[in-house]
Amino acid sequence: MCGIIGYNGFRNADNVLIEGLKRLEYRGYDSAGIGVIGKNLKVFKEVGEISKLEKDIPKLDGTIGIGHTRWATHGGVNKENAHPHLSGNKKIAIIHNGIIENFKKLRENLEKQGVKFQSQTDTEVIAHLIEKSYTGNIQDAVVSALKKIQGSYALLVISSDEPDKIIGARKESPLVIGVGDNENFLASDIPALLKYTNRVVYLDDGEICVLEKNNIKIFNDKNREIKKEENLIKWDFKDAEKSGFSHFMLKEIYDQPDTVHKVFLGRVSEIERTIKFPDKVENLIENINSISIVACGTSYYSGLVGKYFIEKYTDLPVNVELSSEYRYFGSKNKDSLVVCISQSGETADTLAALKEAKNSGCKTLVITNAIGSTATRVADAYILTQSGPEIGVAATKTFTSQILVLFLLSLKLALIDNMIGADRLYDYILHLKELSRKVRQVLERNQEIIDVAKKLVDSNSIFFIGRGINFPISLEGALKLKEISYLHAEGFAAGELKHGPFALLTKNTPVVAIITNDSTYDKMIANIGEVKARGPQVIAIADENDNEIEKHADFVLRFPNNSSALSCIPISVILQLLAYHVANLKGCSIDKPRNLAKSVTVE
Amino acid sequence: MKAVILAAGEGKRLRPYTETLPKVMLPIVNKPILEYVLDAVSKSGIDEIIVVVGYKKEVILEYFKDYKKAKITYVEQDKQLGTAHALLQAKKQLKDSFIVLAGDNIIDQESISKLINDESKYNILIKKHPHPSKYGVVFLEKNKLKEIVEKPKEEMGNFISTGIYKLPKTVFKIIDDLASQGVYALSTIIQSLVDQNQEINTIIAKSWMDIVYPWDLIKVNEKMIHEYSSSISGTIEKGVTIKGDVFVGKDTTIYSGCYIVGPVVIGQGCEIGPNTCIFPSTTIGDNSVINPFSLIQNSIIMNEVHIGSHSRFINSIIGRGTIIEEHFSSITGTPTVEIEGEFKKLKNMGVMIGDDCNIKSHVVIDSGKIIGRNCKIDSMKKIIDNIPSNSKVM
Repeated sequence: MCGIIGYNGFRNADNVLIEGLKRLEYRGYDSAGIGVIGKNLKVFKEVGEISKLEKDIPKLDGTIGIGHTRWATHGGVNKENAHPHLSGNKKIAIIHNGIIENFKKLRENLEKQGVKFQSQTDTEVIAHLIEKSYTGNIQDAVVSALKKIQGSYALLVISSDEPDKIIGARKESPLVIGVGDNENFLASDIPALLKYTNRVVYLDDGEICVLEKNNIKIFNDKNREIKKEENLIKWDFKDAEKSGFSHFMLKEIYDQPDTVHKVFLGRVSEIERTIKFPDKVENLIENINSISIVACGTSYYSGLVGKYFIEKYTDLPVNVELSSEYRYFGSKNKDSLVVCISQSGETADTLAALKEAKNSGCKTLVITNAIGSTATRVADAYILTQSGPEIGVAATKTFTSQILVLFLLSLKLALIDNMIGADRLYDYILHLKELSRKVRQVLERNQEIIDVAKKLVDSNSIFFIGRGINFPISLEGALKLKEISYLHAEGFAAGELKHGPFALLTKNTPVVAIITNDSTYDKMIANIGEVKARGPQVIAIADENDNEIEKHADFVLRFPNNSSALSCIPISVILQLLAYHVANLKGCSIDKPRNLAKSVTVE
Repeated sequence: MKAVILAAGEGKRLRPYTETLPKVMLPIVNKPILEYVLDAVSKSGIDEIIVVVGYKKEVILEYFKDYKKAKITYVEQDKQLGTAHALLQAKKQLKDSFIVLAGDNIIDQESISKLINDESKYNILIKKHPHPSKYGVVFLEKNKLKEIVEKPKEEMGNFISTGIYKLPKTVFKIIDDLASQGVYALSTIIQSLVDQNQEINTIIAKSWMDIVYPWDLIKVNEKMIHEYSSSISGTIEKGVTIKGDVFVGKDTTIYSGCYIVGPVVIGQGCEIGPNTCIFPSTTIGDNSVINPFSLIQNSIIMNEVHIGSHSRFINSIIGRGTIIEEHFSSITGTPTVEIEGEFKKLKNMGVMIGDDCNIKSHVVIDSGKIIGRNCKIDSMKKIIDNIPSNSKVM
């Protein structure tokens, strides 16, 4: 999992590459490097964040080059293993995102032929293979090298023998072309290009491109030249900036009154009492007998919330599975709808599961934030969360938007099966419309959350408990805290605590309890009592109309009164802010937590 | 040249609307006041703007995250001590001459251009005002500033200071000096410059508007709505009548039988009708819904408002996220309101309802009444008094 960028044009390549790498840093940041062709090919690498590279790099002349930010998979974090990697004759440089599965064998073969390796990476193998195949045409050399390798890649190659072109190739790792005037770009993700252009061409698996200053040629896996459509990106560069907030994560949390509305835009009509999805989606969900929701991490938790909605409003059985497990072990029933959830639409585990489901004949639907992503092109249909770019590694606004898409989907399924009528639907729509204001009200109480965060900073371990829909929300609350504050945190179904985890409770393990005014209320109060009896402090997240809770909990955070299951949205925002403030008080690197990357494109 | 916009203040006199928004973010024709200031400044050729934020700063950061007309840098004023103190926060960002403006007064671009292009080192924009004693009254001698008297007890003079200046970087010497003695008002700093015989040139502003009390929002809204021209996005069903200048945002649907007379501005994602009447000079914010048979005239409906069927609003303001069920009535009249110990007679005033209220069906509210934010009013209530925020009327 890494970020790659290539530039061929009229500007100083080193500046463009570093600027682009900064916007790809969320994909990896343990080391970085760039290679530029001027009079000859020069490469510079550094261990650490892009800012360090930017500070230490000497001026590299040239208007064509490639850059890479790394998240280590093969080989430790050091200068040698950073990209770009050079061929033995130092004429070819390559950067790569992905994993070469047969690299050990290839490396042994090459070593037998006398090739000396500089690094432990799988990538360097490709550089040597290209050099071996080179007979005067770099494109042919790349094609013939790629034939020998198994695995996934998005890679860029430059050669000082043909200093006017970049060769790009993609298989199961993301790569887009940015089209400019008298300049062209290649990158793992769109934000890296937005400063210079909003015209992009998506490469598909098996395709290779030859990028010149004024010309782009694309070849399919049979090496035949093909024409591809240009897409206009409607976000702009500013979207991807922090605009005064101290972190992207905080900005994205504060984005939520807006993004909540964006989910309904063009889909929900209050006066007409309708929910509309694109025809492709509506046709796909018409005759199904069960649903599997497949996702990883935060998206998996939104899937668990979705299961609760769909099973509540319809008779359809839902199972929620982790992509990495489903791929190998999940049941793939032909009449079942497989819903894959991935913010980036590039999550390797989820893509693999999606392909597996599709090949088994299941109907496939993707919920994603990225139009044009691999997932949207593989699945039968897709629903966009319409949240705008999310840069912070810890997902926030896309989590709440995913939940809302699943809520709309569950209502739509209920309408199809005549489980609810127009009047019930109208009630739900009114609840939906109130959400934006409720999220806003939570944000207005930010200071109270900061005060509670101060109490949590010195804990060794924090537990989150809830029942029903609040169980997956507890899991997500714990995940947020783990991700960015490095505190140990676990989420539990409140009733499960006594079946084991109780043994872990001490005075120093505060428990965050989510308690809503529904049928689980009394049981939750009882659970809080059980916890209190063992010494921990309890932080309750409770309805603003709950006058009892103060008697039971040590601290209370309030969410605006809401009788419906949708209270999980304001509750999620409270948990996001709580995690953010704990991490901020601890001085953690919030937007780029250690060892993590935004979209995980390795399995 | 850079500009400094002071946007840290709370605006207590504009409660309940400023309980959740800083004053600069109050909407005039669906745009925060600050956006008018930013637009005017960037149009006059300034491309870097320093915005001093404080009270509810996140609202500002979030709203302007997509602003493209100029580069915005934010600096924070922790405590709102005064205008000079606010300006002091921007000191590090400034290299030479700059202009400073209040983010809560609407100003035109032409006046700013004049201010920038004038060659005097010190410049102030002034404006004739019918009630100068509420402001810093300025006295002139041959276009040069002679004296500023801050809020005099009795009516005097004709001109007031708009609080918009062009200043050289050296002014920070005096600001630092006086700040150490606890003086934080920019007008006091300017007066002390005059006392030191520093020449300060005055320029008369073309249009400058201040918003002091909630009802001023309606007046200023009525004036500014004329700057919008007709433009219709979204869906207009058959059988809708539209006359005059009407602006409809994208993803908005106007259902059959609606009768709209401009100037009217309707934001994005709204649903209006069927059979709803909207008369001049009304603005409706984003994602709001107006149900059938309602009538709205010369009012400000902010974002995410829900209005039930058969409701009537004239010369009224409804805050963000407020939900009003059917058969609501606002009485229009000539109320006398008490504000800061003073009595004031208002003409043709409806009601002013804060953010996030829930008002059930068949409620009547007397003219000139202010309903605080997050109030709940049960059905069939008659409200004849102001209601403080977070109240329940059972």
